[in-house]
Amino acid sequence: MSVKELNISPVGRVEGDLDVKVYIDNGKVTRAHTQAAMFRGFEKIMAGKDPQSGLIVTPRICGICGGSHLYCASSALDTAWSTHLTPNALLLRAIGQATETLQSIPRWYYAIFATDLANKKYADKPLYKEVVKRWSAYVGETFQKGLTASALPVQIYALFGGQWPHSSYMVPGGVMCAPTLKDITRSHAILAQFKNDWLEPIWLGCSIERYMEIESWDDMLAWVEENESQKNSDLGLLIRAGLEFGLDKFGQGVGKFLATGTYLHKDLYNNPTIEGRNNALIQSSGFFDGENYHEFDHLKVSEHVKHSWYDNQSDGLHPWDEPLPTPAQSQTLHDTNFDSQYSWAKSPRYDGHAAEAGPLARCVMNANPANKDHQIQDPLFGDIIKKMGPSVFTRVLARVHEAPRIYKFIEQWLSEIDLDGEFYTKPVEKDGKGFGATEAARGALAHWIEVKDGVIKNYQVMAPTTWNVGPQDGNDVPGPIEEALLGTTIEDPLDPVEVGIVARSFDSCLVCTVHAHDANSGVELSQFKL
Amino acid sequence: MANVLWLQGGACSGNTMSFLNAEEPTVVELITDFGLNILWHPTTGLQIGDQVQDLLRDIIAGKVQMDILVYEGSLIQGPNNTGSMNFFADRPMMEWIKELSQVAGYVVAIGDCATWGGIPAVPPNPSESTGLQFHKKQKGGFLGADYVSKGGLPVINIPGCPAHPDWITQILVAIAVGRIGDVLIDDFHRPKTFFTDFVQNGCTRVVNFAQKVDGQFGQKGKGCLFYEVGCRGPLTRASCNNILWNRQSSKTRANHPCLGCTEPGFPHHDLKKGSVFKTMKYMGVFPKEVPEGTNKLAYYLEAGFQKAMPTNHPVQEFSK
Repeated sequence: MSVKELNISPVGRVEGDLDVKVYIDNGKVTRAHTQAAMFRGFEKIMAGKDPQSGLIVTPRICGICGGSHLYCASSALDTAWSTHLTPNALLLRAIGQATETLQSIPRWYYAIFATDLANKKYADKPLYKEVVKRWSAYVGETFQKGLTASALPVQIYALFGGQWPHSSYMVPGGVMCAPTLKDITRSHAILAQFKNDWLEPIWLGCSIERYMEIESWDDMLAWVEENESQKNSDLGLLIRAGLEFGLDKFGQGVGKFLATGTYLHKDLYNNPTIEGRNNALIQSSGFFDGENYHEFDHLKVSEHVKHSWYDNQSDGLHPWDEPLPTPAQSQTLHDTNFDSQYSWAKSPRYDGHAAEAGPLARCVMNANPANKDHQIQDPLFGDIIKKMGPSVFTRVLARVHEAPRIYKFIEQWLSEIDLDGEFYTKPVEKDGKGFGATEAARGALAHWIEVKDGVIKNYQVMAPTTWNVGPQDGNDVPGPIEEALLGTTIEDPLDPVEVGIVARSFDSCLVCTVHAHDANSGVELSQFKL
Repeated sequence: MANVLWLQGGACSGNTMSFLNAEEPTVVELITDFGLNILWHPTTGLQIGDQVQDLLRDIIAGKVQMDILVYEGSLIQGPNNTGSMNFFADRPMMEWIKELSQVAGYVVAIGDCATWGGIPAVPPNPSESTGLQFHKKQKGGFLGADYVSKGGLPVINIPGCPAHPDWITQILVAIAVGRIGDVLIDDFHRPKTFFTDFVQNGCTRVVNFAQKVDGQFGQKGKGCLFYEVGCRGPLTRASCNNILWNRQSSKTRANHPCLGCTEPGFPHHDLKKGSVFKTMKYMGVFPKEVPEGTNKLAYYLEAGFQKAMPTNHPVQEFSK
């Protein structure tokens, strides 16, 4: 049987277009390459500019996770300038991060992922009809409700930041806003509407509190069967259809997870330092190697560029030591030589390992027995990883699992804002190095800055998509999505829908198309929508 | 009924995200109630890949009518004018746009990157980015100063970083219901209906602009952000403080200085040292930029007088 090549262009758009090439032998993917197809050079734009430029520039790297970039950019300057942060400032930043992520859950699920399940590949499955009825783009019964509800959480963001997307309200030393009682009460009301419009009646089919009692995979399965309301909720249907469609059977990936953590506790990070960050996180950071948890240390992060379109840089440098990017000549997917440079993405490594970033990584960290009292302690995904391992299904389940908890957090943090307290402490600007990080909706996000002579000398951004879609590293070890595609069974080489579903489960892509090529003749075999 | 094609170049998807926040009409209502037929969109489009390539070729060949081409993101021309830093469907995006713009009924540039180059075009402009018909304040851009679409209009610019969803939906509706003739555009090709008033119109701090009472970050009350933290509300044309964002607020209402993102200079002063969230001044006193339409000397005299001898009580009371 001949090896077939599939060129997938574009697979999607996060910080640019993503293309994928896979080789299929005997129905299985034997080799895969991811290609990020757009370069803008934001880090280069910031060099030599005002030290606060990142507050304006970095949210514009990604309009989907702009608030997360802002969280990082302000935190990086906090550590570089040794600022002081009041409890109110930390609460309002956490609320901004949380509302952006909460918005992203229904928006991603309905607009980006769920329509995949309406693919004709699954037409012979018993639940297919119900899936199509609910989740078809635009016309699905709950599609519009979910999409409309997704605009609500960022209304809260706008009350404190002025607008979403693209506010710069988090600044070194705190936040710009000084909210009053009506902003708090309005936020509570918007949050309740989100719950009443979508989260409880449509998504869960039960109360938030009931859902949060789930602690194991068995609990989860029992929850689905507990009553008709839960069974027929959108989450209930996702679990039933996901298992029926076999989404738990492919897309395993590297099995190593990296989370930079987020939500700095209001009383534990008032004097920000890089060293004090891990302990101050509410959503814990860490590296899980498949067996054991390791404490996150940003100094163990490095980037490789052997297969990236950058010149004048050596492999394995820590971001502080990386030069500003020197772009090399790029090629189209068809003309690319994958033994050489083939992507605008770099390859981040943690302690030398490729690692998956994202909601699943976060949920794995939530199950770390070493988590402290102020940190999330949720054993569910520790159990799921042990019983089922990573897969398309577990990744998607993790993405949506967070909504009830984030809801409760926002409610709590709103109630903790002290209207008599301060929101901002003017910092003293100085030269130095800084590090800021968070968890964007789609995973670990970090910024490194060096300020010298009062301007930015170096700025490096490592986005979750970089962790996941990065190409091979200096030792030709594949990146997480490349690895997750390996071994995937392609049922129909003329319609290899599985490839796009794997890529989409990492939340890396908005649109996918595969062009199937016969490796020997080069003749195009098929095209399809994922 | 109007066929819309939406493409993204050097984009962050922020305008699409903003568009998805739209209400009255929502994106779905735009399609069902106003007869917009979205031929393709990178986030919501159903046909893609080779199907999109075929669609684009059919449009270029005149087999499919494209009433509106919406473009989001900068035009990436690098390196060396090849456009190979932004491949789309196996071809430089700029080559698609060159051909599509020749057959478009109307071309709508959404957001600062598409209108004037935006942040990617800030020096050293590593991707050689530019806007569709402007490069910063300079007319020309990618399509050239003389470009007009088949409908007889130059590129309609809906700036903002991002553009407000209402600005996007209302212009699309205007075209769809045949009212495009009523859309007047200014020197920067912006629809005057949204971009005549200044951001300061409707700002809840405006009384303290007159009283010269400073605002600072995290400060309670309604101090004006123009004097110390670089607010560009009096210099920026946009309806932010009249229609509000996400139905709730605006930057200046949330004590966030206006960044001037609907004006072609954004980010202003190219982010040079001392320009970010700081009012740039001569000799540490006189603002380098004064409100649009005022004479600098007259402004300094008037402002100095108000500072020294305010004609009214400053409005500094506030409730928590």
